[in-house]
Amino acid sequence: MRESAAASPLRRIPGVAVMLALLVGIFGTIAPGFLSLANISNVLLQSTILTLLALPMTLIIMTEGLDLSMGAVVTLTSLMVAIVSLATGSMLLGLAAAIVVGIGFGMLNGWLVAIAGIPPFVATLGTLGMAQGLCLIVSDGQSVVGIPRAVRDIYSATLAGLPVPVVVALIAYAVFHVLLYHTRFGTYIFALGGNREALRYAGLSPAKWLIGAYMIGGLMAGIAGLFMTARMNAGHPTAGLGLEFDAIAAVAVGGTSFERGNGWLFGTVLGVIAVGVLRNGLNLLALPSSLQVASVGFLVIVALFLDGLRSRS
Amino acid sequence: MTDMTKPVVAPPGSIVSGDLMQLLYRLSAALLICIILALLNDSFLSLGNILNVLRQTSLLFFIASGLTLVVLTAGLDLSVGANVALSACLAGTVIQHTGSPLLGVLTGLLAGGIVGLLNGVMVTALRIPSFIATYGMLWVLNGLTYWYMAGETIHGFPPGFRQIGSGYLFGLPIPVYLLLIFLAIGTAFAQRTIWGQEIYAVGANPVAARLSGIPVARRLLLVYGVSGTMAGLASIIFLARLNSAEADIGESLTLPAIAAVLIGGTSLFGGVGTVFGTFIGALILTLVLNGMNLLSVNANWQPFITGVIVIVAVWLDMTTRRHKL
Amino acid sequence: MKPNKGLICIALPLVLSATFAATARADGETVAVFTKNQTNPFFQTVRVGADLAAKTLNAKTLHYIPTKPDSIPEQLSQVEDVVVKKPDAVVFTPVDYKAMVPGVEKINDAKIPTVNITDRSAGGKFIAFVGADDYNLGLDTGRYLFKALGGKGSVVIIEGVKGSLTSVDRVRGFNDAIKENPGVKLLASQPGNYQRLQALQVMENLMQSNSQIDGVLAANDAMAVGAIEALDGANRKAQVIGINGTKEAVDAVKSGKLLATGDYNGFAQGCIGTMIAIRTLRNQPVVTEIVLKPTIITKDNYQPFDVALDARTCPTWDEAAKFATK
Repeated sequence: MRESAAASPLRRIPGVAVMLALLVGIFGTIAPGFLSLANISNVLLQSTILTLLALPMTLIIMTEGLDLSMGAVVTLTSLMVAIVSLATGSMLLGLAAAIVVGIGFGMLNGWLVAIAGIPPFVATLGTLGMAQGLCLIVSDGQSVVGIPRAVRDIYSATLAGLPVPVVVALIAYAVFHVLLYHTRFGTYIFALGGNREALRYAGLSPAKWLIGAYMIGGLMAGIAGLFMTARMNAGHPTAGLGLEFDAIAAVAVGGTSFERGNGWLFGTVLGVIAVGVLRNGLNLLALPSSLQVASVGFLVIVALFLDGLRSRS
Repeated sequence: MTDMTKPVVAPPGSIVSGDLMQLLYRLSAALLICIILALLNDSFLSLGNILNVLRQTSLLFFIASGLTLVVLTAGLDLSVGANVALSACLAGTVIQHTGSPLLGVLTGLLAGGIVGLLNGVMVTALRIPSFIATYGMLWVLNGLTYWYMAGETIHGFPPGFRQIGSGYLFGLPIPVYLLLIFLAIGTAFAQRTIWGQEIYAVGANPVAARLSGIPVARRLLLVYGVSGTMAGLASIIFLARLNSAEADIGESLTLPAIAAVLIGGTSLFGGVGTVFGTFIGALILTLVLNGMNLLSVNANWQPFITGVIVIVAVWLDMTTRRHKL
Repeated sequence: MKPNKGLICIALPLVLSATFAATARADGETVAVFTKNQTNPFFQTVRVGADLAAKTLNAKTLHYIPTKPDSIPEQLSQVEDVVVKKPDAVVFTPVDYKAMVPGVEKINDAKIPTVNITDRSAGGKFIAFVGADDYNLGLDTGRYLFKALGGKGSVVIIEGVKGSLTSVDRVRGFNDAIKENPGVKLLASQPGNYQRLQALQVMENLMQSNSQIDGVLAANDAMAVGAIEALDGANRKAQVIGINGTKEAVDAVKSGKLLATGDYNGFAQGCIGTMIAIRTLRNQPVVTEIVLKPTIITKDNYQPFDVALDARTCPTWDEAAKFATK
């Protein structure tokens, strides 16, 4: 079951890959500057924060769950980075604070879902409100500025020629890949989605692994918070709100199903990039913003439609 | 979202009695909140405040009631807010150009209904999961509304029309009458008609529903169509209340509507819940917001408190259900 | 009033082709115009002004608006995309005047001349700033209200988006006007997020806890109108002032529902900002700061403001330069 779930997206050409290829082809032809090195690295860099969120979201969705609080939590962790690094002068302490807060919310989400038995949609809708409220409370609705230069520099710094955020995203992807496809944890994640009873019959408690999945989400939100603050050189109480929907859409566009417990990690990354490419291409073409808004909707619908066709044939 | 661990659902016939206890629990919760607020603040029980709360609850209820039917089928409609905005803008245009509020109302309902049906088509014929289908629709609708309004607003409607939103009849705000009407219609439809029973069945177990001859696709089209039409109705009330149509009125409407449905006891897994429950959910949500405003709770705390309430309400609901079974 | 979309579909291609034919000249610079969102009518006036100025000077505008209103990450991405595209100049309204500084610096690094309009950015290099004086707009409209109230009464303030510079400055102006009038009592100051519906609900709630409200100071017109709707619904009366000078507010002033509105001339800011950008490209003299004079639109002087957006014309350079403060 697990092997076929992992291998099946590769037996057919996934909808998201087709869409991405189409988008790159179209924009490459009609959008001046699209295929330039500067632009491509922009798109990749712009996709990193969402990737860091979409990777754990893939795992969570595979467990038939959702994390609606991710956008608010990443906003909160980004504020933590700003506030703590401003107060202590240390970027690392800021990052540590962000990770602690992120994991804290992950534990809360996991506990609500796994122990209290509250449906993930509801639990994370509630924690969304809590995180959003905390964002306003700790910042009093204002941007937090004046943070140490080191924070900002981490966004533009490079490692082996690649921007640090991209490197981190690549490492994160590698880690998630190993985690999902080559560890017992990964097997349990697949089982939590497709066959939760099997776990119980095997005497294992789903709770531990569920909580783990949400905690990983919190950890990634902490790291993403650092890059978010670095990018803006500030912490802002509403900057990341709504990102969870972008992440969920990317996961769905990438081929992970809400119901059948099969997940495709690489598909998620393609999904993130596809949306990024779409927005970037439309910006380069300077098309009216209203058209851009509608296009995002169409992309998501068409991608899922294609996927639905494929899984039926 | 099928889940092996969900509680056993009573067969459709007994839903009314099974849910009655849950409704009573909720009603008591709402009552409790009222008592607490009345003790904490003098203005809470003032006539003006009560009427405000009722009117605000109505606005929330119109959207949430249609949404309830969708959630009963284990689906979701994330596009309701954007639907309200587009329908309001279209209806507003018609009223301004033709001077006829009636045509405007029909436009709003029609626009909302068509959007709803499109959602239904995506879910049934195109087999797109409702979360994603309605999420995509949300963006498409927003794009359409932004393009159509081009950054402007439509304002200034005939006073007769505005009465729908801000007027009073025998001392009660007119939206409250509409609330009562649709509460009655919604409850009768869900509990007492075959279509209603079939919708519960589809939500509880779509496979069994299909096998027992229920036209699942048609029922799904129905619920999404109704959800859209109710969004259209809400848009008319907003139009009348605000005396204007703007592209962004929908943005803050969807999540509270979903919260109202959930607090009201409707399960995301389908098959469980009532329209009356949603009304109480909307009432509780509005009471909490009203209370926070009256007590001058710092606006920064409001999302936090609302989030906690959602969790606590659903948790209480689940605990009491489990003890019953 | 909604323009007839059908007519536009026919007329637009004709106009476009005529424009293409006409603008095959030496000018034709591209100016990228950044605004905060598509929904606030204020920014539509900015965009219309920018377009008109560009057209008059034989240049082109490209508009960049976040798909999620006021989204900082999106505007940052749009800045990065624009740098690739390399327009000749940029006219920039930051969605957040502090958090967008890195974005401005990116445009600076790409050596694209930039004009800052509306919200004064907290950093970055600009050719010039064109804006209105939010503080004095707040102060003057507040003073006008208190004059109408005879220097005494109970008032409430409805703030804009918390943390936004325009709201901070306008509310500061309101508060200073209150300080000048010791007979005036401030009952409450609540945020309405520059949104009509929210202001309406805030007003409804305020009316519950306060049986007597004589005046409402709203930081923008949408909120002022929302407050008026709430008052109407409760059959109560109060003097309301707003800021922006939108068409709807001017209509409300005409009909007497709104006491006054401060003219926050987005159209002029768009015009002048774009003019400065283009003049800089053509090595013509510019000034580095233009702050429009605060004007209060009231029942006595609304006529010149009661002009439809498509019928307005940009100020000439000489008229604009008169407001230069630097």
